[in-house]
Amino acid sequence: MEFVTPEGLRQDGRRPRELREMRAEIGAVSKANGSAVFEMGNTKVLAAVYGPREVQNKSQQMSNQALVRCEYTMANFSTGDRMRKPKGDRRSTEISLVIRQTMEECILTHLMPRSQIDIFVQVLQADGGTRSACINAATLALADAGIPMRDIVTSCSAGYLNSNALLDLNYVEDSAGGPDVTVGFLPKLDKVTLLQMDAKLPIDVFEDVMELAIEGCKAIATYIRNVMLEHTKQLEYHRDG
Amino acid sequence: MVGLSTGEKLFIQAGIAQDLRTDGRGRLTYRPISIETDVISQANGSARVRMGGTEVIATVKAELGRPNPMQPDKGKVSISVDCSPTAEPAFEGRGGEELSTELSIALERCLLGGKSGSGAGIDLSSLIVVEGKLCWDLYIEGLVVSSEGNLLDALGAAIKAALSNTGIPKVHVAAEALDNEQPEVDVSDEEFLQFDTSGVPAIVTLTKVGKHYIVDATLEEESQMSSAVSISIDRHGHICGLTKRGGVGVDPSIILDMISVGKHVSEELLNKLDSEIVAAEADEEE
Repeated sequence: MEFVTPEGLRQDGRRPRELREMRAEIGAVSKANGSAVFEMGNTKVLAAVYGPREVQNKSQQMSNQALVRCEYTMANFSTGDRMRKPKGDRRSTEISLVIRQTMEECILTHLMPRSQIDIFVQVLQADGGTRSACINAATLALADAGIPMRDIVTSCSAGYLNSNALLDLNYVEDSAGGPDVTVGFLPKLDKVTLLQMDAKLPIDVFEDVMELAIEGCKAIATYIRNVMLEHTKQLEYHRDG
Repeated sequence: MVGLSTGEKLFIQAGIAQDLRTDGRGRLTYRPISIETDVISQANGSARVRMGGTEVIATVKAELGRPNPMQPDKGKVSISVDCSPTAEPAFEGRGGEELSTELSIALERCLLGGKSGSGAGIDLSSLIVVEGKLCWDLYIEGLVVSSEGNLLDALGAAIKAALSNTGIPKVHVAAEALDNEQPEVDVSDEEFLQFDTSGVPAIVTLTKVGKHYIVDATLEEESQMSSAVSISIDRHGHICGLTKRGGVGVDPSIILDMISVGKHVSEELLNKLDSEIVAAEADEEE
């Protein structure tokens, strides 16, 4: 199958090194301490943060740092085919773990000992890159909750099909059998916090693909920062007005 | 769970007794309702409803299936609800399952009629393609995104909006098939039939707090309820379904009184929902 035409266009009309259109909205769940919706093309996820609050299960309490928990759920209607998946299947558990580890790394947990932070991500529409979209949504939600962080962590995926490095794969490209490199990145500290790849790739090509994913993360970070600035300006305006 | 002090509890109860609730509403006033349609692109129809701080999404997916042999002239509809942990941390893991099931069953009771399928709020006979052989199966799925009380009414409204947003593809049945064979069909991807939703009822939940009852209770008010009656009423004023929740017994005459008040409230609610749905569809076309 042809994923990049000779003119250099992908199936959805993008260039190989182009991100899908992003849209972010802060404060979608009024009851949560922080929440955000993040869309990348047709992928749409909602993240809500509760905490820092009292630890629910006292045996998990830590006296030197906060407990970070995360749960990833997919809505039944999020995929094209209707399906009924049991809660807590292996894929969801793995993604919950990945998101938790990524977010835990950038939260200043030592400032909030004996407390708990819950991150809930809900996939509303899935079209490839849910992992990345969830991390980006969680970052915004954590920022909205006012939780101290080292940096904003952003995530983006890249792949390699028809000898082209492609940024931000959609579902069709993701299931084409090529490699899918997901990167989580701290733009200010210039550090990679998450790196996953399936399928095989020569090392020099992998370098290019990873570099491309990092470029994507940086672009997303710029976008997220603008969204947060805009949101803060709105808050300031409402306070003064 | 809602943590309230004795003072707060008394304040809520006294407010309801005086027809002035904590958010300034009267006993029979709804919170502002806003509706957005076509929010989930891969479904045949979808809608998001916000009722104050409560937010729910409903989607409708249509698939071709075989009608139940007992009811060859009716399509099938199933309703299931999921409670996302984003709405309430207690819904984490399997925590939301009990509430999800309670809501699903209550919605099925309110919208689908009994086992025979007669008296359903949703017109099941319009879903039939070839009698006894082919029908549309509607899978209605609800998701609670944010929960601030009165989930059932919000879900009912979202399902109504999602159904009116639903386009069911036109089906051309190729030739008359033999008795036992499935007819060959051609599902059009250009022509869609709009679903007639004028008969779909609205659900009104009356929550009894102290001696009085209120509509559209918030989470704090729900924590003070003794019992609640959910009534689904259609345009013609017919009751399509009824559920009573909460353990405290209610005098039969009070229930009848609640139903008549519910009927009155439902007229306003239906008008409000219809105008919101029309506005949402117009917004979408722009």
